[in-house]
Amino acid sequence: MKKNDNGFLNQVEDKCGHLLGGCFHCMACSSGCPAVEIMDYYPNQIIRMIQFGMKEEVLKSKTIWVCVGCYACVAQCPNRIHIPHMMDALREIALEEGVEPGEPDIWAFHREFLKQVDKRGRVYELEFMMRYKLATGSYFNDVGAGLKMIKHGRLELLPTKVRKLKEIRSMGDYFDGRKR
Amino acid sequence: MVEKDKLPENQIFNKEHSRLYYYPGCSLMSSARELGESLFAMAKLVGSWVEELKDWNCCGSSPAHSVNQDYALLLAGRNLILAERQGIDDLYVTCPSCFVRLRTAENTLRHAPVKNDILEEAIGKRYDGTVRLKFFLEVLTDSRRELFKDAVVNPLKGLKPVLYFGCLLTRPEWITGFDVLPYEAELRSFVDSLGVETKRWGYAKQCCGAHLAVTKPELADTQVDKIRDQAKRSGANCIISFCPLCQVNLELRGSKDTRLPVFYISELIGLACKLKNAGSWLKKHLVDPIPLLEENKLL
Repeated sequence: MKKNDNGFLNQVEDKCGHLLGGCFHCMACSSGCPAVEIMDYYPNQIIRMIQFGMKEEVLKSKTIWVCVGCYACVAQCPNRIHIPHMMDALREIALEEGVEPGEPDIWAFHREFLKQVDKRGRVYELEFMMRYKLATGSYFNDVGAGLKMIKHGRLELLPTKVRKLKEIRSMGDYFDGRKR
Repeated sequence: MVEKDKLPENQIFNKEHSRLYYYPGCSLMSSARELGESLFAMAKLVGSWVEELKDWNCCGSSPAHSVNQDYALLLAGRNLILAERQGIDDLYVTCPSCFVRLRTAENTLRHAPVKNDILEEAIGKRYDGTVRLKFFLEVLTDSRRELFKDAVVNPLKGLKPVLYFGCLLTRPEWITGFDVLPYEAELRSFVDSLGVETKRWGYAKQCCGAHLAVTKPELADTQVDKIRDQAKRSGANCIISFCPLCQVNLELRGSKDTRLPVFYISELIGLACKLKNAGSWLKKHLVDPIPLLEENKLL
């Protein structure tokens, strides 16, 4: 039988800066969550699993990637448990510890977005969408939507960039560990 | 449009706020260019000159804080440092999502010196905590609101919008600093001053799916359908959005039979005040708003 990690609760609490012990599973968060239908565990279940030390299950879950951070849960939580920050911390831990993301496409979205930021300091939406499609192999999904955006002049054809790119790169080191 | 020479001089040259510095954010340069143009036109209308934060960078948006909190802090933090270097006291932010990211970083940097150390290490300067971050609509202070009301020459009678605040316009209130209910009431009364008939509904803060519209389009479709369906049930014939991403999602996603035009608040300002470029913004819509506007003789 798999051993649970009893230090996991503290690890997550330290990382996100919030205490997760106050949850009494009223499920206000899960009821109001806009993305709950494509989650494999409800947000409050994730909290319980963290309390039980079910580290592997939590870090491999789809739920932590699906959360968009809309703050509906924390706005409704009677105990003000900051679930969006908790999810941020869980994703960060999952990446640090080399856990395969439960939603590879969403990770690809974040990764490609941040590559754009690192490259120019700003996001060039057209290239970002292309790169996301290359990374996920979803070449033909949503082409109509993209063309519509271009047709209506909603995507800029040329990128702009930050002048002091050195500063951007030096910040990027914190993200991808070039320095570490 | 109101001619400037008809306004009392003290209202035009309000020295204190005559120059506004703004943080545009990435989407204002592309998918939401008209949001920027119309907001700046609004600022000029009440006598302000707008100027961009020089050399700004992406605030990190959802991806940065989703995978690395320190990186998110640094990206947002650099903009604060720039504002300090450029001697900016009030920085107006045009996108609700950038606003929350920048305010989150500002808050953290002021209260956690450890985090300021990281910023100093990365770009060689600490944040001193002197920048006040404001949402762009705060340009319309009470006295300017009166000035603005005079500029409404084409009241938008016949438009029945619902206000779609989205996730981040007021939430989380301990970050945005807004007292949610009074603030929402204020926005509503401001929108009403454009001559529209605002409908009440319960979906003002129901998430549009945000970036899941790209990775999980089916989910965004369901969300958008629910939102537009509710809007129609409340008797609305259009939606007012404050956020570039919400605007795109609400027009682009969802099934055909629930479609509704989604205006940025500032576009309506442009129409109501008959600003020069207002007509050109309308072409960028993915759901054509022109039939609705023509039907009500607003063009």
